[in-house]
Amino acid sequence: MALPLPPGLTPPEVAFLCEMELVTVIPRQRLDGLELLGGPTPPLTPPLRANLPLWLALLLKRQRRCNILAPPWLHPASLTSILETETEHSKAAFSPAPKLPPKSLSSSSQLTLSPPFLPSSTADSRADALPFHWMEMGELLLSGAADDIADADLVRRLLRDLREVRMAKVRAGVEVLDAGGGVQMNGVGGMEVAEGRAFIGGVVDGLRRIGASREQVKREREAEERERGLANTADDDYDAMDL
Amino acid sequence: MNLDEILAEATGPSIPQSTLDLQELSRVWVAERVAPELLPWPETLMERVLAGIRRQVEIVEEQTGDMDSKTNFKLIVIQTELERWKFLVRSLLRARIAKIDAHPHHILFTISPTLASQSSSTSYNPDLLSPAESNYLHTHTALLSSHYSSSFLSTFPSALQSLDDTSGGISMISAPDLDTAVFVRCLEDCTVERTEGGESLILRRGDVWVVRWRGVKLKVERGLCELI
Repeated sequence: MALPLPPGLTPPEVAFLCEMELVTVIPRQRLDGLELLGGPTPPLTPPLRANLPLWLALLLKRQRRCNILAPPWLHPASLTSILETETEHSKAAFSPAPKLPPKSLSSSSQLTLSPPFLPSSTADSRADALPFHWMEMGELLLSGAADDIADADLVRRLLRDLREVRMAKVRAGVEVLDAGGGVQMNGVGGMEVAEGRAFIGGVVDGLRRIGASREQVKREREAEERERGLANTADDDYDAMDL
Repeated sequence: MNLDEILAEATGPSIPQSTLDLQELSRVWVAERVAPELLPWPETLMERVLAGIRRQVEIVEEQTGDMDSKTNFKLIVIQTELERWKFLVRSLLRARIAKIDAHPHHILFTISPTLASQSSSTSYNPDLLSPAESNYLHTHTALLSSHYSSSFLSTFPSALQSLDDTSGGISMISAPDLDTAVFVRCLEDCTVERTEGGESLILRRGDVWVVRWRGVKLKVERGLCELI
């Protein structure tokens, strides 16, 4: 009954979250709008574009009922320029993620949306920023809809390159980890969090434990020195008397 | 208010409640899977979600009779989505049960006003468990302690028989480690205490940080930050 997994999401669970992202499809068959639990889907009329959650788009794609329009950031040109940013311009930090839209003031009671519920992989999303679920999105689209992606092999290679560069940054970032926690990791992706969680969390927690014992040792040493200090002054007094 | 905000308000399509529920359910699920301790039971959200799932199951049951291929495909889509929601709910409940099993006495102290007042380390929170979970916790601990006492505890001296002894400076009650590092995404600008009594961090909207759970716990519960 109880979940036997340690804290933190597993890679399939991160991919599950990613499947809720909206993507743009070009339907090849007519399909009425559906009343789903997660809100109504738009009616599909070829050749009008429509935004659907990724899981539904992949289901339709598998049955050859639609084509998926790859998000702008998944084009070879955008990936090349993002890769250049990652390697040339910001050697330590990740390339910035797409900004969260400004919070509207009138609907302060409304829930704040965040990935995967922001349209960061639809046809009109930004081309120059990797969304939170970039790795999963790329992987799912390459395996489920490779024929809809221009230059799929090049895209696959660029994604692999990006992953390497960014994982190297995660590893290099270990040096700034400290026991107090509080490390900024803007632009990190969902799968990278899942991969790095055990390691980064372990390092921070381990450092905290070492820090705790070191703190205790320091406190003990101080107490000891205070005692020895008292003893030393007593010795000095003794010496002085001897002379 | 800048131009972007005005535009977002004027053009922003109203998001249906069911989509917001899905966002909230996924957020609650991720938080429960990631946070080191049990989080309060999202009563109203779960009522809406479970009612929605029941309604959808009824629709599926009514329409399975139709052999028309078009309705058939619609049903496949509806059922696929239904399974996704069921997975979220099931995984959330199982993660909660795992945490209840890990620290039963700590949670008993948290949900009981008399026990929480005796203990210094736990704070009283009656909304932590759903009625079913609270029932499970009480029955499970009762079964476990009666089994322990009949199999070996009864042969111990009576002073050593209790399972939740806090005397002698060492507490028998294991509690989750609140200083575990977690990944958070800031949804609204806020400040977070870094270490106890230490300096504080300023989190800007959209930032991702690795911080101690103790520092962001309240922010997550108030929706200023989310766990990722």
